[in-house]
Amino acid sequence: MNTSSGVDSFIFSFLILGYVILIGYLGWRGWKKTRNSKDYLLAGRSVHPFVMAMSYGAAFISTSALVGFGGIAGQFGMGVLWLVFMNIAIGIFAAFVWFGKRTREIGAELNARTFPEFIGKRFRAPGLKIFISLIIFVFVPLYSSVVLIGGARFVQEIMQIPYAWALTIFAAVVAVYVIFGGLKGIMYVDALMGTVMICGMLLLLVTCYWKLGGVIPAHQALTDMAPLVKEHLPAEYELGHRGWTVMPEFNSVWWWTLVSSIMLGVGIGALAQPQLAVRFMTVKSGRELNRAVLVGAVFILLTVGSAYTVGALSNVFFYRTDLGIAGNFQSLAIQAARGNPDLIIPIFIREALPGVVLYLFFLTMLSAAMSTLSSLFHVTGSSIGHDFFRTVSNARRDSLTVTRIGMLFGILLSIIFAMILPPGIVARGTAIFFGICAAAFLPAYFAALYWKGATRPGVWASIAAGTASSVIGLLFFHRKEAAAIGICEALFGQTELISTHPWPFVDPFIYSLPLSAVTLILVSLFTEKLPKNHISRCFRKK
Amino acid sequence: MFGLGDISIAIAMLGSIAVTLICVIYGIITWNKGDDSGEGK
Repeated sequence: MNTSSGVDSFIFSFLILGYVILIGYLGWRGWKKTRNSKDYLLAGRSVHPFVMAMSYGAAFISTSALVGFGGIAGQFGMGVLWLVFMNIAIGIFAAFVWFGKRTREIGAELNARTFPEFIGKRFRAPGLKIFISLIIFVFVPLYSSVVLIGGARFVQEIMQIPYAWALTIFAAVVAVYVIFGGLKGIMYVDALMGTVMICGMLLLLVTCYWKLGGVIPAHQALTDMAPLVKEHLPAEYELGHRGWTVMPEFNSVWWWTLVSSIMLGVGIGALAQPQLAVRFMTVKSGRELNRAVLVGAVFILLTVGSAYTVGALSNVFFYRTDLGIAGNFQSLAIQAARGNPDLIIPIFIREALPGVVLYLFFLTMLSAAMSTLSSLFHVTGSSIGHDFFRTVSNARRDSLTVTRIGMLFGILLSIIFAMILPPGIVARGTAIFFGICAAAFLPAYFAALYWKGATRPGVWASIAAGTASSVIGLLFFHRKEAAAIGICEALFGQTELISTHPWPFVDPFIYSLPLSAVTLILVSLFTEKLPKNHISRCFRKK
Repeated sequence: MFGLGDISIAIAMLGSIAVTLICVIYGIITWNKGDDSGEGK
């Protein structure tokens, strides 16, 4: 039976089943090799560099990047390509070379197995470990939910099934293998998924340019469409959108969103992601990290670079093709997607690619979502089972049962969020999560690696200030969230506390990160330093 | 440039490719370099 997208249901179901069996097998192999909590949490610290890099990339890049930000590129254009640059320069090179090696060395020296434990042991603060684990447990489900939404939207469009069904099936498949596999299982599966993602996205890019007549003709066609923005998309024009191959108007609403939330918030926020930082501790030497830089950079360029380019170029395709989607010929991407940017990439893939290629794309999107979700659910479960429960209960060993219950709770919470969050939330939800992580953790994480003078109270104050200022910014200053949540309106009778342009559109990350960093420095200067022998142990090889 | 309407978009595109090449070269040059110790206790 064929769906309206030309997908044969039987072949499709057979393919999905085969893929699930394959990842189930890889997860099982990992599970068989999982003998203790070090295996479960750090894959035994002996992962091959290719597996580590692909796993890092696959966990880093999700459907929120491919579908969410790809859709933003479809709506607002190629300015999002700056995020590709940031992802590679900061998220790969700086992360691996300047953060990864020291994280691995200090983490191994202190026998830390999770990000909260790393910070907790580095600053000799068990309470801090609990605090960080709770921050992770509260905010990670928000990010997980938008990744789920990205994947479910794709399934919804390709299979033409209700969103709720797509969401439930998606979450169920991820839940099974992440709960039983541990990190070793996850990393093997991620490596497979990363490979599928590269093949799928590269094929998408090549097909897109081929359909539009080549690289420069495609770009030129999109450039020539710039006058259509004012005519067809007056709301986007008001926000500063001036065409898909130019930057938005300086100091406009969209310029601030692109620069503060997407380029800087997501770009820099990648450095302080707990689910990514833990991967640095899984390799046995710095040599593996050097090799992973090569693999990781190519992976990011081919996956997100393709998604953002194709997202923007989809406007040319939609404009030239009579799809009958928007009820008229010559619709733009966001019109074809019925106003929801999260649907631009799924609809483009469904309409532009032949049925047989759709199968590969389904696996690509499935992989993108599942690899990130598994790492997020893993970090959620370990924050509860390893960091919170073990510390609070003074248990000598990890409780895998508690870890798995924590994961299950995180999964359920993510599904609930995915059900209730509004359309077009994927990219914004990602930016919020990355911004909070950067403001809360980045100064403390950097100090843990590079500043011997950072003190326990300094790190406590920094993490508290970064978290609090991010949350306050979202509730009272950044218009989009403040208006949606409504606490500011209820308390003060206005949408946001400062309405002068550009403040309602400046991401809270822009002031939360400096505040967190300054707090760390000032408090550390005036509080008791950590013992010299502990510092010497941490920085033994520096 | 490349049919794009704005030099800054071309810079983002070329910059992404350039930084990827830097990472590839770094990976090749340091392929066998790096501390081998540090196994957790």
